[in-house]
Amino acid sequence: MLGPDIAWYLAVAAFLFATGTLGVLMRRSPLIVLLSLEIMLNGANLALIAFARHQGDASGQIFALAVMAVAASEVVVGLGLIVAIARKRLDLDVDKLSFLRG
Amino acid sequence: MTAAAWICLAAPLAGALLITLLGTSISRRTAAYISTASVLGAFAAALVVFVKLWGESPEERSHASTAWEWLSAGSFHVGLRILVDPLSVMMMLIVSGVGFLIVAYSIGYMDGDDEERRYFAYMALFVFSMLLLVQAGNLLILLVGWGLVGLSSYLLIGFWHERPAAIAAAKKAFVMNAIGDATMALAFFILIQHNQSLNFPDAFHVGPGHGWLVNLVALGLLGGAVAKSAQIPLQTWLPDAMEGPTPVSALIHAATMVTAGVYLIVRTHPIFEQAPQVQELAAGLGAATLLLAGLIALVQTDIKRVIAYSTMSQIGYMFLGAGLGAYANSMFHLMTHAFFKALLFLAAGLVIHALAGEQDIRKMGGVGRAMPVTRITFLIGSLALVGIPPFAGFFSKDSIIASSLGQGWYGDILFVVALIGTFLTGLYAFRLFFLVFPGQPSPFVEEHLMRGSHSAGAEGAHGEDDASRPHGHDTHEHAGEGPFSMTAPVLVLAVLSVVGGWIQFAPVWHPVSDWLEPVAPSLTDPTNTQETVASVFALLLGLVGIAVAWMLYSSRRWAVPRWALGQRVLERKFYFDEAYDFAFYRPAVLLARGLQRYFERPVVQGSIGEVAGGMREAGLWTRRLQTGLVRTYALAIAASLVVIMVVFVAVR
Repeated sequence: MLGPDIAWYLAVAAFLFATGTLGVLMRRSPLIVLLSLEIMLNGANLALIAFARHQGDASGQIFALAVMAVAASEVVVGLGLIVAIARKRLDLDVDKLSFLRG
Repeated sequence: MTAAAWICLAAPLAGALLITLLGTSISRRTAAYISTASVLGAFAAALVVFVKLWGESPEERSHASTAWEWLSAGSFHVGLRILVDPLSVMMMLIVSGVGFLIVAYSIGYMDGDDEERRYFAYMALFVFSMLLLVQAGNLLILLVGWGLVGLSSYLLIGFWHERPAAIAAAKKAFVMNAIGDATMALAFFILIQHNQSLNFPDAFHVGPGHGWLVNLVALGLLGGAVAKSAQIPLQTWLPDAMEGPTPVSALIHAATMVTAGVYLIVRTHPIFEQAPQVQELAAGLGAATLLLAGLIALVQTDIKRVIAYSTMSQIGYMFLGAGLGAYANSMFHLMTHAFFKALLFLAAGLVIHALAGEQDIRKMGGVGRAMPVTRITFLIGSLALVGIPPFAGFFSKDSIIASSLGQGWYGDILFVVALIGTFLTGLYAFRLFFLVFPGQPSPFVEEHLMRGSHSAGAEGAHGEDDASRPHGHDTHEHAGEGPFSMTAPVLVLAVLSVVGGWIQFAPVWHPVSDWLEPVAPSLTDPTNTQETVASVFALLLGLVGIAVAWMLYSSRRWAVPRWALGQRVLERKFYFDEAYDFAFYRPAVLLARGLQRYFERPVVQGSIGEVAGGMREAGLWTRRLQTGLVRTYALAIAASLVVIMVVFVAVR
């Protein structure tokens, strides 16, 4: 088997995922939150592909493709929302956008 | 033969269905003609059956016919079975014959009513139901007919459904009858369990050694008979039923349906003969009813209610006879009573019709001057009712009274009660006659009858009467006594009330008894001496009653005695309504109130309320979790993920 051991791939994936999670939890700008989400998804994708290579099974890669498609759609919806919020001249701050409080 | 009987049954049903289905595509008059024709068809078929049966030897006069098996449960089968025998043919002739006359009379009486079609459909339905009742070949079909006559009675009492009183009366009649229907059904259950059959006559042979069982069955049947025939203690619905149109009172609440109880006792007489105490109870109830109803009739002021109480009283005589085993005499009285009581009601209907719906005899007086035909026919009906020879009641009623002689002390008591009843009959019948017909017209009558034709002013003057009694027929002209279609049936019934009794004169010839002998052989056979004694006493007391009525209400030589307490008791109808109100209605209401207060509200409603309140509280608490802060949600998800992962690792 070529290339580094699978543990390296998983370590990178875990690092990416943790970075993204921290970003989602800590940043207040919706734009950055969306970016962080993408990083989380890519971390997950990397883990999927690494495992697929490791197992010799293509279904993990196909799963990763599906995740990319979903991520693209999600970005479209998320950016659309952000544009709509900006047009209403509301603060771009997720802590202040809490109209759905029960 | 049975084919004709089926036609007799089907004709009125077809008439009712036809009127219902054609709806407004036919005129009101056409609906009336369809109804009349269908009942006439039934009468013609009944005549055919009668003639054919007449031609056979007495032992063979019983023909059953089953259309199809109606229901079966295990070894128990019931077919749609009719039975043609002398008893059912006699009832068929009475029901369809008198029914035809009364439906024909209705053409004039109901003319102009907004819902004439509905009325005539109901009338045809009633005739069908009654024919089903009397032709039934087993007890279940009889019960079906029994229920259907109750239904049509309910529909017709409440025919003027804008009047709250009519609706209340209809409900009252239905509820009172439901009690009887229930006891009858219970009796049938016992018979089914014991005999596996409800067919006539298999159902009647319970066999020895089942004394209490026979008594129960007989009591159940008696309960049904008492309710339908308005005898004590279920009599209170009949006077209120007079809220219906007058022809309905004549047909259902005088001539046919209310006599169904007598028919039931005669039909099921083998059961009653196996339960002699119950049969004696029937006679006693009849005697009590004839006495109380006769007394109450003395103080009633509504022309129809007087006749209604007289009906109860006369059915009391029939019960008395049936209870003593004088079946043929009871059926004979049932027949003559159908003639003269229908006559009285229809004649009263002519008066009511002419007086724009007024029924209070205190406002009447001197009606006879403008209505000579009504006056003479009403007189004939009253004489027949009191039992003055040669009118019909004399021949039939006196035989019943004679049957109670020679039956021991119980029979003697019944004899005395029946004689007192005769005196009361003379008194109340002629009180009514003298108050309504002879003498100078009262101002009210003057206004309605003496102006030749009805002017608009007269209608206007009695606008409030019109409003409270929405007789649709008030609007058209009724100078005199009404159209030919109304007077003709009255005249026919008057003739029947005279000659109807001549069919049987017990000491000399008795074709009615012979005719019914194969079905219901009488237990009593009064000697000629007993017949004569009964007749002399009954006739004398009846005449005394008439004489007293004349002194009190016509010549007015005696003042009407005023005895406040008695008067009040009679006007209150011996407080039966109040007693039932106190004994059944009030406790039921109290129980319901108590349940509402101590069970419904705290337990049922309370538990539901508590559950709902708890849910509400829980909702109020959980809504706090919904902060609207996206980062909190994200944190919750991440934390949950960590927990799950820790759990996974730990569990492994």
